[in-house]
Amino acid sequence: MSADAIRLASADNVATVLRAVAAGEDIHVICGSDLTTLHAVDPIPMCHKISVLPIADGQPVIKYGHVIGAASAPVAVGRHVHVHNLRSTRALAAA
Amino acid sequence: MGAHLSVDLHDMVTFPGFRRADGQVGVRNHLLILSTGGLTGQTARRVAAALPGAVLVVLPHSSGLLGVDLRLQRRAIVGMATHPNVGACVLVGDNPVVMRHALADIAPSLRPHAGFTLDDCGHDGLALTDRAVRAGGRLARQISRDRRTAEPLASLGIGLECGRSDPSSGLVANPLLGLVADWLVDAGGWAVLGETLEWLGAERLLAARARTPEAAAAITGAVLARERIAVADGLDLLGSNPGPTNIAAGLSTIEEKSLGNVAKSGSRPIEGLLGYGEAPAHHGLWTMDAAAYAPKSLTGFVVSGVQLLLFTTGVGNPYVSALSPTIKLSANPETCATLGDQLDFDASGAFTGRDSMAAAGHALCRRVLDVAEGELTWGEITGEGDEVLSRFAQAL
Repeated sequence: MSADAIRLASADNVATVLRAVAAGEDIHVICGSDLTTLHAVDPIPMCHKISVLPIADGQPVIKYGHVIGAASAPVAVGRHVHVHNLRSTRALAAA
Repeated sequence: MGAHLSVDLHDMVTFPGFRRADGQVGVRNHLLILSTGGLTGQTARRVAAALPGAVLVVLPHSSGLLGVDLRLQRRAIVGMATHPNVGACVLVGDNPVVMRHALADIAPSLRPHAGFTLDDCGHDGLALTDRAVRAGGRLARQISRDRRTAEPLASLGIGLECGRSDPSSGLVANPLLGLVADWLVDAGGWAVLGETLEWLGAERLLAARARTPEAAAAITGAVLARERIAVADGLDLLGSNPGPTNIAAGLSTIEEKSLGNVAKSGSRPIEGLLGYGEAPAHHGLWTMDAAAYAPKSLTGFVVSGVQLLLFTTGVGNPYVSALSPTIKLSANPETCATLGDQLDFDASGAFTGRDSMAAAGHALCRRVLDVAEGELTWGEITGEGDEVLSRFAQAL
């Protein structure tokens, strides 16, 4: 069984899809050697992110085990996470 | 990052390497022909051409260098002439003062060498060629008697590089380098991450991994200094970063983009920030304040003493170091298919979901050891290697 998405660290609340995923698909997410199933609510373009945990508005979005920004809207599980619901905290701090 | 991905390779604790008189261990036994300045570059090329198998490095500048460039020139000459992968070195040059310093700097290592300037040869380039070829031939015969011995993994240092990156780099290829870096650091070896400007957005995360507050301040300070250089030249780094291509590829923030880059460094504590070409005081994971352009970046690592380089790429480029075998790898399936010869490691299985990161990391560590013990990289086979030293200021 091969993976459709990769969760780079166990602390991550997003995974990155390895192929384009259609809305409503159940996909396999690999984390280390562990494979889990996730229901995709949105269509996710290849190499884009999907939420694997619910993320409240303003809460950190975590990839590589590190904060890559903050959610700018509430994010349910299986949603597309990108510039529409995720903001850099570094760029804001520098602005 | 992802300690659960750590690579368990207890069977790989030694490798066959060349032990030097100064205690360093090489993965190659090069005869280096080193021109200490551009004026004798063509002489050095003739010398290298007359000695098949010799490795050529031409430093383009010499007389008139000032300050940081003058110190770096001296550091680069001794760093290359006594590099762990260099069995012996022939130096040619036009500046007797530079040569005197070089020979004095090399002597304590007991590395076999010979050095000649035009002044030694009546200012005749062909006479200089003749003397250097004969001396190089004798050194080649001498080092051909060197044999590999079982050496600890802890003697290895690796430079971590990426170039022409795409989404597969940040997602798979760079995190794989992180696994190799963790493995080598845990074994007592060392690894170094450069390309300062590409830490922008992830600098606080790097700083948080620093062993000391001084190291943390040096890392964030180095990024700020590069940012200021860019801003002073009218570049807006944060406003346009990630750019439209990055965003289309799925990168949402500068933090995410930079994390994809610094994922090469793995997860271990950072000992400190090295200056360009500076050797580390002890083993562990280090950062180097350096330009991002691959030829300059790799040469900075080489001068600091790394024996091997790992170079990830999205769409590919052929560049490698002359002195340190450079393992090129990609996780992009299309690139792996079209550049199969040029790439020394195919990480596309971890990108298509066929292989786990742990399995791909294990295979890459194995490949690092294969190359350490003598397997040739494509860049070595095709003679693609070069060294390009950074230049910082004006000269007289």
